[in-house]
Amino acid sequence: MTNSTEERGVRINVSQLQKSFGDNEVLKDVDLTIEKGQFIAIVGKSGSGKSTLLRLVAGLEQPTNGTLLFDDKTIKKTDASVTMMYQDSRLLPWKTVIDNVGLGLKGDWKDGALRVLQAVGLSEFQKEWPGTLSGGQKQRVALARALIREPDLLMLDEPLSALDALTRTEMQDLIEQIWRDNQFTSLLVTHDVREAVKLADRIVLIEDGEITLDLENPLPRPRDVTDERLVALEKQVTNRILEEEPSANH
Amino acid sequence: MSNTFQKQILPWLLPFVVLIVWQIVSMLEVVSPSLFPAPTTVLESFYELIVSGTLAEHIQISLYRAFVGLIIGGSIGLLLGILNGWSKWSFFTFDTSIQMVRNIPHLALLPLAIVWLGIGETSKIFLVALGVMFPIYINTLHGIRSVDRGYVEMGRMYGLRGWQLFRHVYLPGALPSIFVGLRYALGVMWLTLIVAETIATSDGLGYLAMNARQFMQTDIIIVTIIIYALFGKLADMIAQVGEKNALRWHPNYRK
Repeated sequence: MTNSTEERGVRINVSQLQKSFGDNEVLKDVDLTIEKGQFIAIVGKSGSGKSTLLRLVAGLEQPTNGTLLFDDKTIKKTDASVTMMYQDSRLLPWKTVIDNVGLGLKGDWKDGALRVLQAVGLSEFQKEWPGTLSGGQKQRVALARALIREPDLLMLDEPLSALDALTRTEMQDLIEQIWRDNQFTSLLVTHDVREAVKLADRIVLIEDGEITLDLENPLPRPRDVTDERLVALEKQVTNRILEEEPSANH
Repeated sequence: MSNTFQKQILPWLLPFVVLIVWQIVSMLEVVSPSLFPAPTTVLESFYELIVSGTLAEHIQISLYRAFVGLIIGGSIGLLLGILNGWSKWSFFTFDTSIQMVRNIPHLALLPLAIVWLGIGETSKIFLVALGVMFPIYINTLHGIRSVDRGYVEMGRMYGLRGWQLFRHVYLPGALPSIFVGLRYALGVMWLTLIVAETIATSDGLGYLAMNARQFMQTDIIIVTIIIYALFGKLADMIAQVGEKNALRWHPNYRK
């Protein structure tokens, strides 16, 4: 990950993507193009279909209809490296921190693992069991595990929602800094609008399986959550989410 | 310091008290010594059996039966558990049949085992293997099935497939449960062996006890019972050491 001259990131093209579970249509005709190196945040209430979109992009689910392209190739033909951070860190409790980072890697990965652990500030914990770490430390290890694969796409599935406010802010700064250093494409799914506004270049709102808002967020980085423009943007998105509430009851 | 007392001394306090009471009751001759020999008498017989080499012979053959039976039955149980936990096809093909056989008390097969396999080693090893197979099977199956799906999904996402996924995710995830099965199986192993050795045999600890019964050598019967207790405890301790070592990542097994 110190090798920043290398071309990173992947362009993702989602067109007319539709997903049903039985009779339940979770995603309806979603069109979305994510540029190489863009940090995009998908917000929405629970059950809106935002997690399903993420799982489709990750290849964990198959779409009912529509296409999904990585640099104009289908998901099976892509050689883009895709990694993911989950809400629960999903570190294997029976492997030490460093072995979790190197999970499934071949060849000599120890040096690389130490380097990414250093990048997330946890190199002295390499021999520990995950069970001894705090929630924030676990997510740092999960981030290191995602980074060692030099991802072209990093997917973040509510990765910080289980953390306390202070740790969450720290982690947001860390993720932003690492993304800026490496310029991979980032797809963040969150229900925390402030987090989305702070981290993302672009905010997409999904409601009832459809994209109902697509906003650019050109504010300069690093961003301060108390910045007026940021607060205004957060309000705009939040109000948009809340005004939908009554119509959902009809 | 109180910790050493609690861990090292306290567990042995009750057996010690029982021994003392036993000795006192025997010395008072409340019951006939031939029915209820004193601990010292038992110890004497124990010593004689050791010196004459008889005991070593019987122990050796009993341990051989126990060990071979455990290895055979344990391996089959482990393999079936893994297979049925891993593959739905395998599960639906085998599980019902296994459950049917499991519900037959395996000792009820003793007469049949003797008729089919004779009174030699095979019938005893067969019964031990059959007895230990089921607890290991059930706990392995349960262990494999209860591995967090989130870990499996993460493992796939990070490129683990087939054997790799099994080795890094399923097996370690199932290990705590497999050890529960193993420790339970060790108990079944001794039980089966005692019963199998009391019928149609001319060596082994069970034979030693049955033979002593014919001559009213209560002290020798008690010696064999004590040996069973010691070996049972020893086997469990070995299993525990293995468990602690294999599960040192687990919060429940951490020092």
